[in-house]
Amino acid sequence: MSSQVNHQQQIVSLREKFIMSANKGKILANRCSNCGHIMLGTIYYCEKCHDSQLEPVELEGTGKIVTYTIQAVAPEGFSDIGGSYAWIVFKIDNTVLKVSGILLGVKSPADLPLGSKVKVDGFDTKYGLRVQKLS
Amino acid sequence: MTNKVCVIGAGSTRYGKLDENIIEIALAASKDAIDSAGIAPKDIQAGYISNVFGVSDKQVHMAPVIMSNLGLPYVPGLTIESACGSGSIMFREAYANIAAGFYDCVLALGVEKITHTGTIQSTTLFSYCSDFFYEGGNGASFPGLFASIARSYIATYKANEEDLAHVAVKNHENGILNPKAHVRKEITVDDVLKSPVVASPLKLYDCCPFSDGASAVILCNEAFAKKSNRSYVEVIGSGRGASPAAVQGREDITTIPSTINAAKQAYKMAGITPKDVNFAEVHDCFTIAEIIDIEDLGFFQKGTAAHAVREGATRRNGEIPINPSGGLKSKGHPIGATGIGQVVEVFEQFTGKAGERTIKDAEIALTQNFGATGASAAVHIFKKVE
Repeated sequence: MSSQVNHQQQIVSLREKFIMSANKGKILANRCSNCGHIMLGTIYYCEKCHDSQLEPVELEGTGKIVTYTIQAVAPEGFSDIGGSYAWIVFKIDNTVLKVSGILLGVKSPADLPLGSKVKVDGFDTKYGLRVQKLS
Repeated sequence: MTNKVCVIGAGSTRYGKLDENIIEIALAASKDAIDSAGIAPKDIQAGYISNVFGVSDKQVHMAPVIMSNLGLPYVPGLTIESACGSGSIMFREAYANIAAGFYDCVLALGVEKITHTGTIQSTTLFSYCSDFFYEGGNGASFPGLFASIARSYIATYKANEEDLAHVAVKNHENGILNPKAHVRKEITVDDVLKSPVVASPLKLYDCCPFSDGASAVILCNEAFAKKSNRSYVEVIGSGRGASPAAVQGREDITTIPSTINAAKQAYKMAGITPKDVNFAEVHDCFTIAEIIDIEDLGFFQKGTAAHAVREGATRRNGEIPINPSGGLKSKGHPIGATGIGQVVEVFEQFTGKAGERTIKDAEIALTQNFGATGASAAVHIFKKVE
């Protein structure tokens, strides 16, 4: 059967594309061709006008923390780092877009004032979107 | 919609750590509600069931199993899941089917069994209610998600952790009077502030417990209710709302759009304003949630609820009593049952069964219950019928 041609189309999901961008330090977004609204690249139709014509845009994965928490009890898979990471929401620079991720090595709120600058540091198969604090 | 919808019976198990199987818990609450309504089981034409984590107690396809074990194997049942908002969202479907004339009388039952799984597994199961790719998958627990909302609220409105603690103290004060509450314990602001941090800035006493339990009500049309010759409650407003599933998707992290939209619909249908409500049962899974709820419901201006709670405005004798049952915080939070448990409290308040927690002269009540961090929500408004 070696001569058989595989006609199956290789499908890369939006989430896989988002992960590939994150691994380059970027955030994959979509810009609506109809109304110009920018949303995360994993959303299928425009959140504002519901148009389907979306243009992928890779944004620089830098931004500022708008809120976060440090948890004493972590879900399974995170127990080994429980209490020493922050789950954060940050606003991507020059946009109104927010995205969440994990920031390792944070033990106290004193270490992480709101507004701290961060950048995307890749997508970890175990911990999801990894973020690094910029000094 | 042409038919008025009424609640003619209500029942509930104790909330807490229960030893019985999930089906036994469900059946006990159902029987209580049927007895309370004074109806015969044959009067029930459909069963609406809300549940989230049945699989953890080895049972899915909950509705037909419950109907069969009630002795109603040929009465159709429907199971509805919408995370912590399952109960109220299921109630809305039961309401709509009576209003539309499909049925004269139905059972609306919420049930949950979770405590047997332990803290880590419960925390993990709950995290599956989030937008997992962005939240649970990045290590966020539900206390963590609400802690992030609390941090944003505190920073935006210059509130503090002591403000949040006042919500817990008030709800425990009410829960002590509820014989079916999970945590019947008086606490002080100092107790809350000194309790262990669960997810900064939230501490143990800012968080509701994991609870088992079931609550049920009997819904019917007005003609059926009048024939019962009993006191009953009329549903005069019903609203549903939605929000971006992930916290990151909210333009304003300190508000829950699904509550605002559901409340607008319910107030409009009832023809009332927030000032006409005599008490409310709201979704206080965490203390910050109650602060945000009572602003989103229009009881207080945005950014002022923390101060109002501190001043006692939401106590049983305050200007708008909130969670006289003890709320999720003290009564408990068996997540599939919680929304129906709120309706049980309204029924007990309006039919003289609430004992010392009775809100004097109350005639209009509101319930608000949401799923996850508010991705789904329902608001209902009730009127006492003598």
